[in-house]
Amino acid sequence: MRNARAIPFEAALLGLAGFIFAMLANGVSPRGLSLTRDYFPAPKAAPSAVASPGNSTNAAAPGPIASGVPGAANAIQRLQQRGLQSISSNDVTTLFQDPRFQQGLIVFLDARDESHYQAGHIPGAWQFDHYRADAFLPTVLPLCMTAQQVVIYCTGGSCEDSEYAAVTLRDAGVPPSLLFVYIGGITEWKLQGHPIETGARRNGQLLPSKP
Amino acid sequence: MTSGTESSSSPSPKGRIFSLIARCVLGGVFVYMGIHKVLHPVEFLKLVRQYEVFSHAGFLNWVAATLPWFEIFCGLLLLLGIAIRGTALLMVTMLVPFTVLIFLRALAMHQTGGMPFCAIKFDCGCGAGEVLICRKLAENVALLVISTTLIFQTKHRWALRPNLLQQAIN
Repeated sequence: MRNARAIPFEAALLGLAGFIFAMLANGVSPRGLSLTRDYFPAPKAAPSAVASPGNSTNAAAPGPIASGVPGAANAIQRLQQRGLQSISSNDVTTLFQDPRFQQGLIVFLDARDESHYQAGHIPGAWQFDHYRADAFLPTVLPLCMTAQQVVIYCTGGSCEDSEYAAVTLRDAGVPPSLLFVYIGGITEWKLQGHPIETGARRNGQLLPSKP
Repeated sequence: MTSGTESSSSPSPKGRIFSLIARCVLGGVFVYMGIHKVLHPVEFLKLVRQYEVFSHAGFLNWVAATLPWFEIFCGLLLLLGIAIRGTALLMVTMLVPFTVLIFLRALAMHQTGGMPFCAIKFDCGCGAGEVLICRKLAENVALLVISTTLIFQTKHRWALRPNLLQQAIN
């Protein structure tokens, strides 16, 4: 009976020890999460800001943005609330073929994690995993600050990582007028038959898309 | 190694074998699931967020950052046979809310999507990827039964220190 009464005390003691262990382990782990950062900043009411990349000052109605992409309407609404812009797949293709892309004046950013990026990204796109912003910002931020347009994408559909990546860049000082979120993401890119690059950026390993 | 500490309610050798198997199963599951989450913390963070239980970013981060390590901690204690009954009680207190949350989320999906309940499949953040909801609930109930049984198990085989506070209480 004594031992039965001791069980809750034992559990409480273990709970405390486990909590301390978990906090220390998360702090030491290279994959540990920040306890203070807001990884999913809520949209704030902001003026509508949907623009065409060819005319970023024109806040006109959105074009055929990510038509057929599940959740596209919600994503556009969220972007507008955040004061960010979406970009259509046709405009992404145009920017991809624009000579300024090769000159670094148009920057493509892949907001997915390392494994997804390595598995296949838009050729020439830089990785920017906003969950590990400290590791990527030193590389990506100077590129964005000198770019004329920055296209950010993730998986597409319900994926919100490209939106949060854009918010992170905006908060780091990149003018919002330069940032364009490609809602269709890599899924739409592949569906349209565009090539993808596997492994590291600009390693020459281009593959045809297999939708 | 301790083979048993109480004589008042000494179970049969089958009881000790059950205890050993239960510890291995329960501890193994918790360690495995915990390691999977620790290796993919961002994925786990996103999945926890989908439950919409924590509105404050700090709470969400705290849960996603510590829960996997806490599961590993509890799993290791059971595998090593340390504070078995207290650990089993901790696991019950974790499994009950987990199971309720999974059930409620599946119920919401069932009501909004109109799919048959047992056909609902999603990644519940349990560490095993997408699973059929009925199977997951059955697994959780089984784990709950095992951990509850362990709370009342007094004899153990191959356990380092089954009752951590026994000496202090006595």
